[in-house]
Amino acid sequence: MTDHTLSLFQLCDSNFPTGAFSHSYGLESYIQEDQVHDQATFSEWLHVYLNEQLVYSDGLASFLVYEALENQDLQKVWKVDRMLTVQNLPRETREGTQRMGERMLNLVETLYEVPILSQYKKRIKEKQSFGHPAIIFTMIGHHLCVPKSTTTLYYLYSTVSSLVQNAVRAIPLGQTAGQKIIQEFQGELVDATEKIQSLDDEDFGIISPGLELSQMKHERVNIRIFMS
Amino acid sequence: MGDWTGVLRLDLEERLGKTVAKNVYFQGALKVMRPVYHDDSGQVCYYILNPGGGYLDGDRYHLQISLEKQARLTLTTQSATKVYKTPYSYAYQETEIFLKAGSYLEYFPDPLIAYQDARYKQKNIIRMEKGATLLYSDIITPGWSPNGKRFSYDKVQLINEIYLDDELVSLDHIKLHPAKQHMEALGFMEGYSHLGSMMVVGEQMTPELLDRLYYALNPKTDAYDVGFSLLPVEGFTLRVLANSTQIIERIFADCHQMICEEWFGTRPSFLRKY
Repeated sequence: MTDHTLSLFQLCDSNFPTGAFSHSYGLESYIQEDQVHDQATFSEWLHVYLNEQLVYSDGLASFLVYEALENQDLQKVWKVDRMLTVQNLPRETREGTQRMGERMLNLVETLYEVPILSQYKKRIKEKQSFGHPAIIFTMIGHHLCVPKSTTTLYYLYSTVSSLVQNAVRAIPLGQTAGQKIIQEFQGELVDATEKIQSLDDEDFGIISPGLELSQMKHERVNIRIFMS
Repeated sequence: MGDWTGVLRLDLEERLGKTVAKNVYFQGALKVMRPVYHDDSGQVCYYILNPGGGYLDGDRYHLQISLEKQARLTLTTQSATKVYKTPYSYAYQETEIFLKAGSYLEYFPDPLIAYQDARYKQKNIIRMEKGATLLYSDIITPGWSPNGKRFSYDKVQLINEIYLDDELVSLDHIKLHPAKQHMEALGFMEGYSHLGSMMVVGEQMTPELLDRLYYALNPKTDAYDVGFSLLPVEGFTLRVLANSTQIIERIFADCHQMICEEWFGTRPSFLRKY
């Protein structure tokens, strides 16, 4: 393991303050309808969320952005930022992710001096781009020379581990159950990353109707602990 | 890419308060019937026909619809689009829509019925200018299958890209793949069989209208489930899960009516399909 990998680990830490702890991406709707209520039902939800949504959105975006950075094709990076934002049809998750992106960008800017981060920030300020955590994470991964698939894998890991922490609080589950799920998902994350390498632009933004509906319905939930 | 099973091209413009054809062209297994004016508003209605009666293995259809400034069109189909089994190559339909400022398009095709072992891919690319209005809907339904399976089709993929002044503002990508996915699992169809989607983009859109639609249509019933959300530009998406086409069509009709009343002070015409 290189020191660079360790540097990217810092961004995966659930203590890294991006605001991920306040977003459930529709999970809260399932908890309120009692469809997700224990370790088994949460694992089922997480499996679907990872394989039917995250892979085609954040995961594929990370892969495409890394590739574009290798080719110094910045237009492609900005294009993926737009696609990633506008494919997110539920307003609450779209805007929540944008806020997370902004927060993360401000933070990593104090840690790294990378020209593309400042460019991204400038574009967001001028409303030319939206800002997304997956893209910022990938920019750092590329900057640190962490390989492409490893960068995607770690991004997926950071998302899944935050979601597990959120589930532990919200369902609630025991801390041990949470760690068991994270362990159980390691293989799935590797498979998901492998699958992403075989996708292309035509696969971008595929969603699963039920998951999306739960994210839209969350906008109308009155009593909530999560912002999405 | 020139190898199409059916081609349809419809260019419309506004002339003295009436929307008329500038160019109508069709070839192969696609055609339109004579235009219909349901009232004296000048808005024209065209019905699309598939004389072949259904989409078969490897079929490819291309539609192009253009509305000049102030042109107003209701576009629909004569009947459901039926996709039969596609053993070698999926059936494909691509539609390009161009809407100039001030134009209005309501495009409500009948449901897509995907039969056993059917594979279908559809791509709608909509390019609007600011000030144009779009109302669009689609419904995916499973066709009857001899073995009684609820989802006997192989794959249905629908892509809707909406551009406003050349910027992508909405990317809607549904891919239902019963041959590979467990459709009855959590997160997919949530126990329902039919999926309806409606997209509305127009400058008149407000969050308050979405609230009114939500309160009018939010179910206290197990018959359907709906989700509404605002787009990053003025407009919204509506998704419906249900077990029948009629339920989804009724919800879309209610939405359509509320929008027409609110934006234009009009009531939509009944679309006659026989």
